[in-house]
Amino acid sequence: MATKQAHAEAARAERSEELLSPSELFHARSRSHKIPVRGQKEFLPTGSEQQKTHLQKSLQEHWTLVAEERVERLGNLVNAEWIPEEKLVKLQSPAGKFWQTMGFSHCGKQCLLPEEALYLMECGNVQVFYQDLPLSIQEGYERFLSPETVTLHQYQVFGHLKRLGYVVNRFDPSTVPSLYERQLNLPLSRDRQNKQLKRKRSHSPGSRSCEKQTSIPQEDTAVGPCEDVLTGEPHQTIQSKKEQDEPMDSGSHVDRAPERNWWTAASSQSRSMTGLPAALPWDFRLISFPDLGSSRAARTCLAAPDPELLPGALQVGECKMASWLTKLNLKEEKLSRRERERQRERDRYKRSVNDDREVRRCTNWAEYLELMKKRRRQRCKERPAHLWEKDVTPLSQPGLCTSHRELLEEVSIIQSSHLLEEASKLPQLDQWRIIFNVYQPDTVADFKKSHPGNPYTRMCVCSFDGPVPDLRVMKQLSFQSADIPVTFAVVDHGDISFYCFKEFKLPSDFY
Amino acid sequence: MSTEVSEKPGEEGGSTGGGTGIVGTRYDLEKETELRFEVESGERVQLELLTGMGEVFGSELNRNKRYTFGPGSKIAVFTWQGCSLSLSGKTEVAYISKDTPMLLYLNTHAALEQMRRQAERDNERGPRVMVVGPTDVGKSTVCRVLLNYAVRLGRRPTLVELDVGQSSVSVPGTMSALCIERPADVEEGFSVQAPLVFHFGSTTPGTNIKLYNKLTSCLAEVFSQRCEVNRRASVGGCIINTCGWVKGSGYQALVHCASAFQVDVVLVLDQERLYNELKRDLPHFVRVVLLPKSGGVVERSKDCRRETRDDKIREYFYGFRGTSFYPHAFDVRFSDVRIYKIGAPSIPDSCLPLGMSQDDTQLKLVPVSPGRDLTHHVLSVSCVEDEVDGGSGQSRGILESPVCGFIVVTAVDTQAQVMTVLSPAPRPLPRHTLLIMDIRFIDLK
Repeated sequence: MATKQAHAEAARAERSEELLSPSELFHARSRSHKIPVRGQKEFLPTGSEQQKTHLQKSLQEHWTLVAEERVERLGNLVNAEWIPEEKLVKLQSPAGKFWQTMGFSHCGKQCLLPEEALYLMECGNVQVFYQDLPLSIQEGYERFLSPETVTLHQYQVFGHLKRLGYVVNRFDPSTVPSLYERQLNLPLSRDRQNKQLKRKRSHSPGSRSCEKQTSIPQEDTAVGPCEDVLTGEPHQTIQSKKEQDEPMDSGSHVDRAPERNWWTAASSQSRSMTGLPAALPWDFRLISFPDLGSSRAARTCLAAPDPELLPGALQVGECKMASWLTKLNLKEEKLSRRERERQRERDRYKRSVNDDREVRRCTNWAEYLELMKKRRRQRCKERPAHLWEKDVTPLSQPGLCTSHRELLEEVSIIQSSHLLEEASKLPQLDQWRIIFNVYQPDTVADFKKSHPGNPYTRMCVCSFDGPVPDLRVMKQLSFQSADIPVTFAVVDHGDISFYCFKEFKLPSDFY
Repeated sequence: MSTEVSEKPGEEGGSTGGGTGIVGTRYDLEKETELRFEVESGERVQLELLTGMGEVFGSELNRNKRYTFGPGSKIAVFTWQGCSLSLSGKTEVAYISKDTPMLLYLNTHAALEQMRRQAERDNERGPRVMVVGPTDVGKSTVCRVLLNYAVRLGRRPTLVELDVGQSSVSVPGTMSALCIERPADVEEGFSVQAPLVFHFGSTTPGTNIKLYNKLTSCLAEVFSQRCEVNRRASVGGCIINTCGWVKGSGYQALVHCASAFQVDVVLVLDQERLYNELKRDLPHFVRVVLLPKSGGVVERSKDCRRETRDDKIREYFYGFRGTSFYPHAFDVRFSDVRIYKIGAPSIPDSCLPLGMSQDDTQLKLVPVSPGRDLTHHVLSVSCVEDEVDGGSGQSRGILESPVCGFIVVTAVDTQAQVMTVLSPAPRPLPRHTLLIMDIRFIDLK
């Protein structure tokens, strides 16, 4: 049995010397595993004795917990060695079950990243030696965590997620397909995925020459100008095709009977309706219709029509209208009571359009419709003065927009934008970067380090002391992350909160 | 009614010109009378003109030619000069009536013809006539008579069919325009070549009155543009057949149609109330005329209307009396077509966004995900170009595009994601935008 705690110097001798006696073992096993309860947070020192003792007690509990000796079976421990030059931990005995989700092979050796090694040390799975001496957990924290590997905050997030069961990987920006690949919808090449494992640490600033070799030929897959040519051109051709086809729009019976086209000349489109000649006012005194509704119907006797007007030069006699007057309204009209009431109302109050002198002056439809349009416009002009007569007027004219979407477009002063718009042009940022890929716990069973698939989310670690990410950061990070959402883990002295930004569109229309 | 039924026993084939041994009943008609008969269901009746001249809804009969009328036909043979006819087969009723308004209709035609002459002389457009009236007053028949008379005088009038329930041009649920170049066939009606058809999707305009009015405007615009480039069509004018719905929104739709087509004459059949209202709501330069309905018009039951609709669709696929066309059946993958329904289901006003009215949803295109409930539905194949992409621009395009044909879904296989369709043309579909109708057609017989 081996024990590890703060006093590593004492363990300078052989490990086997730290065997525990049976009574000590029993004692260790029957130890209470309860984690001290933290209770309510104290926000302000009140100076009271009660608060003081409470804090003291709580602190004491934590110190005892931290100082507690950990007891593990020697056979369960995997031996490993810390290589400070490469900032990684090489395993010296075969890896345990953790190998499924952690570690990587490098130059034929099984290796662990510092944060993984530290986490496994804390779990009691790995014992790490440096200069043939076992490292204590405290030493692990001191040696493994650095700005070149991972920071304390990042490790806290890593540990937190690991303890919750998530699979957490370092994020490598080169594994995300480029914009060009995304547009083409290229599958991730196998080659690239295989590389991923070995290049895992490549974006870590402290990475060594061995990794750099593999990481170099990366971004050259995205060919800038080619992209424009490929995506730009088809778009144009579609456009022009559309333009050509448009005049044919409503005349498509061409296929069936080309000789009978509803359109005989393409130019007809260009001529507008308003260009129609004003319809002539028919002189209905000369053109006589057999109108049973007119007041003279009873006395009218229709003269025989000119045979020239009739098919087959028919000769017909005159026609007495009177007899037909009794044969009207043969078809009974079924009206409900409400309809009848409304009918009576209309008959009483509704005035004929022809009572209007202006309407009487119109001689054809064009004039009449023009008049109606003018009146409608006038009605528009009679708008409340307090709204329209000042410098600031409503953004939209009433009746101008027919749909909700149109209205929104009309009043939108700030154009809505998409998060990824122009993100590709933003320069790389140093202080903000995605650090981890996070996979959900339920995928652990089938998780393959060589084919991790799409992560559940990507993690960016920051502190409550630091600045809040701005739009520029958001754009850049979400561009880097492609389709995967980015979560911000905010660390406040060991407390971790997770935040993410959601993009949403204002509702503009519905179907 | 003062009908003079002169049923004289047929004098056997020998004495008459073309009666080749078949026993027919002979009818002798005086001038300006008509023979009305209905064919019993499941029966056929043959008509032959023996002497004189006669016409069926304005189309002249040839002497010694046998005309066959199928079950359910309701025919009136009118004669201006007097004629004798022979009928063979089982008729439900057959009688001669003196009491016909044909003379009034003829006078109406004469007046319209005067207008056409004036239009021709003055280089103006010809009369645009709207025929309105409640259901079962003979609107379609009056249209047919007037069109036949006009075309017999060498005019080229246009029939605008706005009756979505009983379209005489295309399948029900459509609004269409047809350019008339020859008189209607006595048996088949007008020859339907290259009509302009718009998809409406239902048999009553009330289901989507907004769409109905919009399509009316579309038709009017296309017709006006045609008049500009085609002088004969302009002089010929148009005759608009409307729905029998003359109350409420139906009435408003008539007024809208009158202004969209800028009609010159409105023929009101049989209803004084409608006549008075139109006189009040249409400007003075529109001539509103009240005409009686013919006593021969029979009321059709709901079932009868449904059957006529069914027959009309069958005729589209199989030809007249199901003999001349052979439609194709083939599979269409769901992924190859886009199916839409026009008009979102109505939502209570309280659920609508602020400031939005119910009308806005009526012209929306709602994508339909293909499923088993598609079976037996009639789909219109829209003429809209497949490549058109983008949101609102496209939806407007589809609404306003005419239809190039119809298909019926005969089976749906959700597993294989295909549907089997009945189509007048072999595969592939000419376009891939389909509009679903409320109308169903079950391909029996």
